[in-house]
Amino acid sequence: MSGPPLVIAEGLCKDFPSRRGQKVRAVDGVTFSALGGEVFGLLGVNGAGKTTTLRLLSTMLRPSAGEARVCGHSLLREAGEVRRCIGFLSAATGVYGRLTAREMVAYFGRLHGMDDRQISQRTEELFGRLQLEAFADVRCDSLSTGNRQKVSIVRAILHDPPLLILDEATAGLDVLASRAIVELVKDCRSRGKCVLFSTHRMDEVEALCDRVAIIHRGRLLSCSTLSEMRARAGGGRIEEAFVAMLGEAS
Amino acid sequence: MSPRAIATVFGKELRDVLRDRRALMFLLVLPILAIPALMWLTTEITVHFAQKLSQEKLVMLVLNPEAAPDLWQELRRRGEATHGAKRLAEYLARHRIGREELERLRDASPRDMAQLLSERGVRWEELEKEIAISSGGGDIELTGGAIANLAFPPNLDVIADTEREFADPAKREERLAEAVRTERIAAAMDFSKDAQGQIDGEGSAKVRLYYLESSDRSELAKNGMVRLLRQLGAEIVERRLQARGLPDTFNRPLVVRPERLPGAGLLVKLMSQLLPYLIILFAFLGAVYPAIDLGAGEKERGTLETLLVAPVERLDLVLGKFLVVTLAAMISALLTALSLAVSLRLGMFAMLSQAGADSFSFSLGEAALSLLLVVPTCCIFAAGLLMLSLFSRSFKEAQSAISPLQTLLILPAFVSFLPGVKLDWGICAVPVVNVTLALKEVFTGNMDRHLGHIGLILASTAVYAALMLWAAAWWSRRERVLFRG
Ligand SMILES: Nc1ncnc2c1ncn2[C@@H]1O[C@H](COP(=O)(O)OP(=O)(O)OP(=O)(O)O)[C@@H](O)[C@H]1O
Ligand SMILES: [Mg+2]
Repeated sequence: MSGPPLVIAEGLCKDFPSRRGQKVRAVDGVTFSALGGEVFGLLGVNGAGKTTTLRLLSTMLRPSAGEARVCGHSLLREAGEVRRCIGFLSAATGVYGRLTAREMVAYFGRLHGMDDRQISQRTEELFGRLQLEAFADVRCDSLSTGNRQKVSIVRAILHDPPLLILDEATAGLDVLASRAIVELVKDCRSRGKCVLFSTHRMDEVEALCDRVAIIHRGRLLSCSTLSEMRARAGGGRIEEAFVAMLGEAS
Repeated sequence: MSPRAIATVFGKELRDVLRDRRALMFLLVLPILAIPALMWLTTEITVHFAQKLSQEKLVMLVLNPEAAPDLWQELRRRGEATHGAKRLAEYLARHRIGREELERLRDASPRDMAQLLSERGVRWEELEKEIAISSGGGDIELTGGAIANLAFPPNLDVIADTEREFADPAKREERLAEAVRTERIAAAMDFSKDAQGQIDGEGSAKVRLYYLESSDRSELAKNGMVRLLRQLGAEIVERRLQARGLPDTFNRPLVVRPERLPGAGLLVKLMSQLLPYLIILFAFLGAVYPAIDLGAGEKERGTLETLLVAPVERLDLVLGKFLVVTLAAMISALLTALSLAVSLRLGMFAMLSQAGADSFSFSLGEAALSLLLVVPTCCIFAAGLLMLSLFSRSFKEAQSAISPLQTLLILPAFVSFLPGVKLDWGICAVPVVNVTLALKEVFTGNMDRHLGHIGLILASTAVYAALMLWAAAWWSRRERVLFRG
């Protein structure tokens, strides 16, 4: 797990306008780095700022302050390059209902500048791995939720990005579909990719994460390995450590 | 800007729209079917009402028949709509010929009458047969007025106030109004003292008609009676002239006969008012659904994030989407024009039965110019709709943001119906209005007189379109638009 650092966040801040013309700081000076071959988990209660942090790192939002280097590119100055090297998947990401699974995936392949041969090769490979072959030419609106999310997975990793950003990607999925995502994460790690991962499920954290960052009210409370977390909980489950840390913070 | 990226977005969005039933409904089905359906419906409604009118009997109460007994009897006889008249009226309605139109041709040249009949597919022999039946075999001239009198007698039941219910002059008008309101009678009339004597001599009898302005039946009865009385009056004059041995030209020193010059006629005028309006409206309507789907739809499906993370510039994304929406507007506008043209060829437009007979056609050059004129306006619509749609968080929100715009759009497009609104240099700068008026001129065949205006309109709308597109691109980069809390 000692690849090169693929994410180096330095003092990332994000302000959102609030109702009365004031600003709300959703992310406040987040600094951390994540390496290739590492699964990096983001933990936090609802509204802690996980989604906002991941959106900042994937260039969807512009930071109000701070900077980050993603795969060696500056977030602020080379947003296009950053986008080329990330795959993004969240619980909310959807599919185009009127396109078939294959068309849907091919669209994003083209947007990533892949040619048709590359696209069809990769599609066959990934559809095979996720048992989607039978649904390749079915319109997405007639797929099950699980299969839709599988199509989204293929969409996210078709261009084989070095960095994968998953925002509660398993939320609302059944056992089989979440397992597909867990397998995907493990596979990425074994191939030296970096996975940024936000979740509310402690079992996933225990099963997957190498290191965990805890975000509370936009601030990074801690950033430690799983064993450090366990030690802090006195050898117990990391859920205890998480709750204890939140208690200290408030 | 990357043409490849734009083409990718364009291709995907086009495919998506073409698979969207709701979008296709507005884009293809509405322009193709709505206009012929509208025409067919108006025809049916005209026929229906013509039948209904000729069937309903309206009671005309005569308050003092004793003042003019002969006149009264004559009115009674003539007020009755015969079976033959109904049949003739229905025959004419089926050919979309109404009373107003025949009345309008009362004094027109026989050429106009003949042209109208042939335009509506009326065969002479057939019409003559119908007329022979309804007139009971008498000879009749084929003029608009004569046919109108035969086919559209007022259908009045002229009865006397035998109970003298309204004899009291003090309460007469009040009671009559009440009787009309409750539909016991449709209208009433009385004659001046010794009216019959005046008529038989060379005097002038006065007939007073009581009617209620707010009642359609009352208005109809009054108008029918006025027509009857005019007709009778003309006949009385003829008799008086004959008795004195004077020619019937004696009281017609001036006979007016308007002659229509060849060229753009009423049909062209109507079409040039209607067509620009419909083209602009349907261009907008055709763009609404794709615009909602391509903007707010991305948010609703959760595909916006995936798009924003893809290595495509926002400008390219917006351009690809914008081109698809513009294309939708253009297709809708084109189909509207084609559908109207075809419907006209098939002679389906009852609304136009008011018009004289001339064909509506335009040259290839005019068609191409009209198309060119519509392009920038379609761009303006597309960019504006996309902006609203991108701002909305859901389909519903986008729809409720756009529907007031739809109502608003009807106003400027309506100017083509206003008489006297002319294309001038100032109006050339007003979007939507300018194109509506320019199309109107092109369709009226006045393109050559307005080339300067048209050039300016193309330039000004192109500038607006470019500004709108620029605004849409700027808009799509704003986080407050794409990620609304
Ligand atoms: N577009 C936005 N406009 C305004 N405020 C926002 C916006 N997006 C997020 N916020 C606010 O920023 C804060 C952090 O939100 P964020 O979605 O990042 O939390 P989260 O950790 O992902 O929570 P959850 O577990 O519920 O997904 C919240 O208070 C939220 O209300
Ligand atoms: Mg979240």
